[in-house]
Amino acid sequence: MKIAEISEAFKISLEAMLASKMRSFLASLGVLIGISFVIIMGWILDGLDSAMQDTFNIMGADVLYIDKFDWAGGKNWDEIRQRKNITIEQVNEFTAKVKNAELIFPTARRWGASMVYEGENYSGFPILGTTYEQSLSPAGEITVGRHFSQFEDLQGANVVVVGYNIYEKIFEGKNPEGTIVKLNGHKFRVIGVIKKQGNMFFDFIDNQVFIPMNAFLKTFGNFDRSISIGVKAGSVDNLDAVRDEVRGVMRSIRDLKPHQDDDFSINETKAFEKQVASLRTIVWSVGIGLTVLSFVVGIIGIMNIMFVSVVERTKEIGIRKALGAKRASIAWQFIMESALLCFMGAILSFVICSVIAYFAAVYLPELISDKLGFLSKTLPYNLLFWATLVSVVVGMLAGLIPAVRAAKLDPVDAMRSE
Amino acid sequence: MKKRIIEIDKVAKVYKMGSEKVFALREVSVDIHENEYVAIMGPSGSGKSTLMNILGCLDTPTGGRYAIEEADVSRMNDNQLADIRNRKIGFVFQTFNLLPRATSLKNVELPLIYAGISASERQEKAKLALKKVGLEDRMTHKPNELSGGQRQRVAIARALVNNPSIILADEPTGNLDTKTGEEIMQLFADLWKGGNTIILVTHEEDIAKHAHRIIKIRDGLIESDLKNPAPVIA
Repeated sequence: MKIAEISEAFKISLEAMLASKMRSFLASLGVLIGISFVIIMGWILDGLDSAMQDTFNIMGADVLYIDKFDWAGGKNWDEIRQRKNITIEQVNEFTAKVKNAELIFPTARRWGASMVYEGENYSGFPILGTTYEQSLSPAGEITVGRHFSQFEDLQGANVVVVGYNIYEKIFEGKNPEGTIVKLNGHKFRVIGVIKKQGNMFFDFIDNQVFIPMNAFLKTFGNFDRSISIGVKAGSVDNLDAVRDEVRGVMRSIRDLKPHQDDDFSINETKAFEKQVASLRTIVWSVGIGLTVLSFVVGIIGIMNIMFVSVVERTKEIGIRKALGAKRASIAWQFIMESALLCFMGAILSFVICSVIAYFAAVYLPELISDKLGFLSKTLPYNLLFWATLVSVVVGMLAGLIPAVRAAKLDPVDAMRSE
Repeated sequence: MKKRIIEIDKVAKVYKMGSEKVFALREVSVDIHENEYVAIMGPSGSGKSTLMNILGCLDTPTGGRYAIEEADVSRMNDNQLADIRNRKIGFVFQTFNLLPRATSLKNVELPLIYAGISASERQEKAKLALKKVGLEDRMTHKPNELSGGQRQRVAIARALVNNPSIILADEPTGNLDTKTGEEIMQLFADLWKGGNTIILVTHEEDIAKHAHRIIKIRDGLIESDLKNPAPVIA
């Protein structure tokens, strides 16, 4: 094929598409819907991913959580339930023995706490007892006031640091520093607010309050639940070494024999990542199914229109062939028209999806729930590239059979048709 | 003796209609030389159209040999025939066969596109061809903005534009009134004087009389092949 022929084929297909705009639009509708599916899906997943990533960063990619329970699930629940609790004595022994970790911060949790402030009673959040070290972890970052000091920690002072949601709900944005509240009937002084960290998945992170571990044990003395231990490795590279050490120390503290399995779990944010990955796969498979379906419908629509286009242009094809157009030249004319239809479908879809994405990201969190704050105002650009490529290829395939039929027309017969 | 452009040797065309064979051309032999002006005549059903399609490389014979400028086209495939049509044959049809949505200039450029000639050269050549047929002021008009005679002139310009070996005109005045038809015949006479080889396919005696040689076809055979002693001077 010569350049002149290719550019001619392109011009013809463009003219053909513009000559009947409504028909072209309707023909590309199937493809438009198919691509929109992919883009919207990719856009949502992208938003989820980055929200997820933010949360992982707060929890710390280099942090291990030693816990009675396993985050990843999938293990024998009965076996896990029968595990012995991790006690404060074990925590203290552990803290003394582990050498490689940068930070160790235990957390004891009590569900169903209540807080009374100015005569109003708020409940439905947990109280966490932790140590001064927690304030040094990413999860302990403060936005208002301060975290508790090492001294307050040791002393078991009645001070409380509240999560962001509680701060917003109870104090309505006012500076709560120095306020006295009643936690489960005990007087505590509010000293700070933890930075907002959650999103729609990890909302609970902002729905808790922190008090010094010693105050926690003093106040809720007969605490019979397992304590969780956060161990910050310092860097992801150091994680394997710390994991090995932590496991060894824990096994010796829990008196495990070499043949016995661990009776505790070492959790990492990776466990969540795995779960999220399987969720992603499900969303994608459903999405891909829908997309393939609408693409099939789209292809049939485009193929149909292309057959009509060939019939309409039979005389023109005859004339062109008589004047020297080869088969490939005629075929390309129709393949390009079909690809162009799909390309236009893709472009229209981008425009529509961009508008949807922008307004959804701006207004939905306000109108429906700020849990939708993870939505991005822009579409993922790499996806746009692939969607365009796929749509053009699909268009060419859809145009192939009509194009071959056109190319094979006999010039004499074709010129005779009206 | 002038150069032989067309050599038709015992060409036959047989169509199969179910189990029956239809002999459109039985055995036709003709030579046409450079700068001849030939009319092919015959009533409908004589095989005249079949011969014209074979001459124009729009169809291939089922028997015999056909060569244009020594190139045997009787066994060529679709794409090779397209190339021969593009380079060696200029068509003028009864119904003009112009692209309705394209301007005169664009219509005339068409064969050059398939010859792979660049856009600027195409335009230059197309303008020249349109000038030759007296339509230099109608270049941007579309066919529906032109009269029948003007449309046929565009078609003739298109036939000329690639400097073909022969101009093959199929009833070129069939859709025109007598006066316009005469003007078109004048144009052909001028082209002949300019050195072109012209083959005119017609069933009208008056039109055929413009040619210098008249071949009559009947029942798939050549009935007569005579020099026209006194061609009409248009």
